[in-house]
Amino acid sequence: MALLEVKHIYKSFGGVKAIQDFSIEANAGEIHGIIGPNGAGKTTIFNTISGVYPAEQGQVFLDGKDITKLEQYKITRLGMGRTFQNIRLFSGLTVEENVMCAFDPQSRYSVVGGLLPTPNRRKEEKRGRELCAKYLEAVGMQDYIQERPENLSYGMQRRVEIARALMCEPKILLLDEPAAGLNPTEVAELTELIGRISQQFGFGILLIEHRLELVMSISHMIHVQNFGQTIAVGTPEQVQHDPQVIEAYLGKEE
Amino acid sequence: MSALVSNVLTQVFITLIAVAGVYVLTGLTGMFSLGQAAFMAIGAYASGLLVKNAHLPIPVAMVLAVLMAVAVGYLIGYPVVRLRRDYISLVTLGFGEAIAALLNRMTSLTGGASGLTGIPRTVGLGITAVSAVVAVALVASFKCSKYGRQCIALRGDPLAAQAMGINVTRVKMIAFLLSVALTAYSGCLYAFYMSYVDPSGFGWKKSADWVIMVFFGGVNSLTGSTIGAFVLSGLPQVLRGLQNYRYVIYAVLVLIILNFKPSGLLGEWELTPRNIKRLFARKKKPADKGEV
Ligand SMILES: Nc1ncnc2c1ncn2[C@@H]1O[C@H](COP(=O)(O)OP(=O)(O)OP(=O)(O)O)[C@@H](O)[C@H]1O
Ligand SMILES: [Mg+2]
Repeated sequence: MALLEVKHIYKSFGGVKAIQDFSIEANAGEIHGIIGPNGAGKTTIFNTISGVYPAEQGQVFLDGKDITKLEQYKITRLGMGRTFQNIRLFSGLTVEENVMCAFDPQSRYSVVGGLLPTPNRRKEEKRGRELCAKYLEAVGMQDYIQERPENLSYGMQRRVEIARALMCEPKILLLDEPAAGLNPTEVAELTELIGRISQQFGFGILLIEHRLELVMSISHMIHVQNFGQTIAVGTPEQVQHDPQVIEAYLGKEE
Repeated sequence: MSALVSNVLTQVFITLIAVAGVYVLTGLTGMFSLGQAAFMAIGAYASGLLVKNAHLPIPVAMVLAVLMAVAVGYLIGYPVVRLRRDYISLVTLGFGEAIAALLNRMTSLTGGASGLTGIPRTVGLGITAVSAVVAVALVASFKCSKYGRQCIALRGDPLAAQAMGINVTRVKMIAFLLSVALTAYSGCLYAFYMSYVDPSGFGWKKSADWVIMVFFGGVNSLTGSTIGAFVLSGLPQVLRGLQNYRYVIYAVLVLIILNFKPSGLLGEWELTPRNIKRLFARKKKPADKGEV
């Protein structure tokens, strides 16, 4: 069984069929691109897999476990990390605290430790800060630990969000348009970053992206979505030459 | 110290403990309770009755009263931590008024509207001052812990918080129960300081007062909330001589602050060693420039 198995999921909002029969299998070390025009249902796929709302039909398995109807925070704890299309960092917290928030659910101290500086709390907080340092370094943000995210550039905020997702210790990482709003230099850096963390941490990645140069260059497989349906699956090479894709997606860009 | 000053300070410290609880609830976690004073009433009546009727030692009675309030808090918290913000205010408002009505009705036990009398007067300025300092220190520690961070995270974005593995309802419940425990404890101190409690002081107006104190000082700052509690609960006592004008002064002060600084007196500034250092560092800079 693959690390992530999504089997024939459906999701609609009123009359809008946002996902119709979507399936995917992903393993450690793989990068799967998901592309498609606006409103194709890409973000809804992520929301359904990660448990924001359950699929109406179909099943999702993570590492052999059925997570279809599980609550969102439980799915995260089983090994799912994600970023958001519109950056959703926590305001009122520093960069380090933002990343720590993804460690806190794993942190092993009780309410007593929440009120008093017990040795156990100190030990766990130290462990968390070390992991923060590790993941912020992995995305090149180690020098901004005490900054507030709102004072950082868009590209930097995206990196902090990736570090926060890494802190969830994911087996599968979901990246929703990580290059949106970035300039070409930043896109190149991000492409390198995604390839590198995929190697370094060995999780599987699902990547939604509009910037084709990014997604085509690092994905092993590409799913093309349109109006909730998968219109093509294949290697970047294959989908680029698929006439349906050219019509529905690539053609639109011209 | 004159009796008047001591009396004002004692009452301010008792209020401060409750306000520290409201800070956890409203400041850290973004939940508005209009029934918080009911937990103060539970603390006051339960501890008073346990001493008066069951003849328990006062500290034991206080611990039991706080635990009782927490148990009630757990029941009312079950819907509260799952509801949207505006509904939370409604549910807690209903709960608070129900408790006040209950205290009024159960005359044989509580003395009804004429109140519960004859509670031994054993609490003074010393114990309330120490309690207030400990309460604020515990809340400060809570804020810097994983719980405080998770509260701030879910306050701003519950969906993203869940996506990071945060069990939003559980963290909210912990924050709610901590605030209940603090409020109930302040009620215990109140009972044994006043030696008399009646239901009229525990309605939604008191709960709203506490929320105002938190907002006045800075909803994102424990330091600010503490100052808010001091100023706004001390002021009416100090201005007692001015009769009705004191409420006008109170209202004008609150309006001025919230108009010109919506995030409260201190915003989110906290009294920490690092922030103090920064404050002085910043003050120096303009002087340096002046010399050039
Ligand atoms: N929570 C929701 N409630 C109602 N409709 C929704 C909701 N989320 C998505 N939709 C609808 O579902 C469809 C798919 O939306 P989705 O956000 O998944 O598209 P997308 O492929 O991510 O688009 P984009 O490229 O613009 O991000 C759209 O028609 C959208 O309006
Ligand atoms: Mg989207």
